[in-house]
Amino acid sequence: MRIIRTLALGASLLVLLGACSTGGGSSPAAATPAASTGGASASDPVTKIGSDGFYEAKLMAEIYAQALEAAGYRVDRTAIGMGARKVSAPALESGQIDLKPEYIGSGLAFYEPGKQTGDPAANAKELQTVLAGKGGGITVLDYSPAADQNAFVVRKDTADQFHLVKMSDLTAVQSQLKFGVATDCPTNPVCAAALKSAYGLDVSGATKLSACDTPMVQALKGKTIDVGELCSTQPDIAVNGWVVLTDDKQTQPADNIAPLVRDDLLGKLADKAGFEKVLNDVSAAMDTATLTDLGKQVSVDNKDIAVVAKAWLQSKGLVK
Amino acid sequence: MNVVGATVGWLSDPANWTGPNGIPTRVGEHTAICLAAMAIALAISLPAGLYTGHTRRWAGLAAGLAVIGRALPSLALIGLVLPITQALDPDRGFSLYPTLIAMVVLAIPPILVNADAGLRAVDADVVEAARGMGHGEAGLLRRVEVPLALPVLLGGIRSAAVQVIATTTLGAIFALGGLGRYIVDGIAQNDDGMLFGGVVLVGGMAMTAEGLLGLLQRVAERRAAARVP
Repeated sequence: MRIIRTLALGASLLVLLGACSTGGGSSPAAATPAASTGGASASDPVTKIGSDGFYEAKLMAEIYAQALEAAGYRVDRTAIGMGARKVSAPALESGQIDLKPEYIGSGLAFYEPGKQTGDPAANAKELQTVLAGKGGGITVLDYSPAADQNAFVVRKDTADQFHLVKMSDLTAVQSQLKFGVATDCPTNPVCAAALKSAYGLDVSGATKLSACDTPMVQALKGKTIDVGELCSTQPDIAVNGWVVLTDDKQTQPADNIAPLVRDDLLGKLADKAGFEKVLNDVSAAMDTATLTDLGKQVSVDNKDIAVVAKAWLQSKGLVK
Repeated sequence: MNVVGATVGWLSDPANWTGPNGIPTRVGEHTAICLAAMAIALAISLPAGLYTGHTRRWAGLAAGLAVIGRALPSLALIGLVLPITQALDPDRGFSLYPTLIAMVVLAIPPILVNADAGLRAVDADVVEAARGMGHGEAGLLRRVEVPLALPVLLGGIRSAAVQVIATTTLGAIFALGGLGRYIVDGIAQNDDGMLFGGVVLVGGMAMTAEGLLGLLQRVAERRAAARVP
């Protein structure tokens, strides 16, 4: 019994240690306002930054947060990783958060299913029109070249066996393949309906798993499914040597990243243009390849999000 | 649209009562999985608990299991077991076996602990008297100890059943069927009616098990009371 008690004590200590040491980005550098650049002012309110729960959203939110802090703005990170869009979108509308990074195609589809297209400029414009009327007005700042969109992926052996390069190649052999799709596929216009009309694919019997998430990756790895719905910047694709099938009919929405900011906050800033420039400079400097690499550092190499964010910002000269 | 209205609407929609994703199918799947888990758990924990309770040995086993069983998160267990079972069977080894195994592990502690405790609680004098009357060990168990311990034992089975019914919903994260499907899909598809419809169905199933086994338990209590002179 002493062994069990010792083990229990050891386990509790481990839990305590874990609880104390995690929380990437939870210790912001003491934010002394920068020497006056006409930018941040002591009267500016704290910017509450939130994001969806997965690593990429948290990474982008942390990057924006650090860029703003370096420019002298005060930031509240508590809501980073708060939950799915179902949670973060209402939070932005209600003012619970002031800023969140968004994928313009999926974000648009959330409010107006069916309106998203493969054209990022159109998506951004339409999203802005929608958000102008939400929560007292929300601004879609410049979208980044970096995009993370839905990608249908196969293992290399499957690609070789069936000569798969693009999505259209799936149509002829679909009965021989097991499909894995996102849990919301049946009702998502860019999923079941789009796959049917563009490629003639019937995914009604497909295995439903959380898109881009570990169960989907594990299912594809272990051959439970042959075609999986992942995210184009997902490191698992490169790590496992998987093949992304080209969306030749452009069914998947262009999902470039753009920060969404409440007009309520923007209106209270001493230098609104300066604030926006900080965020726009960050967005402009990011691209899909870099986002994939940073994502790999966070999710595969298990590096701390705050550390990865800082290193990238410094490498781009966006922070000192 | 309020949640109650959405849920009532979803439950009363005839389209949700047919087909592979219909309520009868999902309830059937859920029941089958829970029954299988309970059967396996009973096969493991009943003999073990009856043995330790009857011989009054291994006192620490039940206590230790109770602690570990309550502390072990089922979701973590599913994640741990999955790569192994998936390698054995890419289909069932991904969606069914991990959850089934986790549910068996979840059900064992309540059953074993109660079997053990129930038997230990049987009055030593009664057992001695029965031995004196010539009962062998097996007869002792069958005719005296188990009937007297049955209420407590059934209480453990009842507790296990309710936990298993509620927790089998986790399997839906790994594409398992059953009622968890409505909860996971309801969240993903932003469909409150489906989500809370699933919740109502799981709750209903759990309460039905609780009620039925509770009834059995009360019957066993009365019969046990009648047996002791």
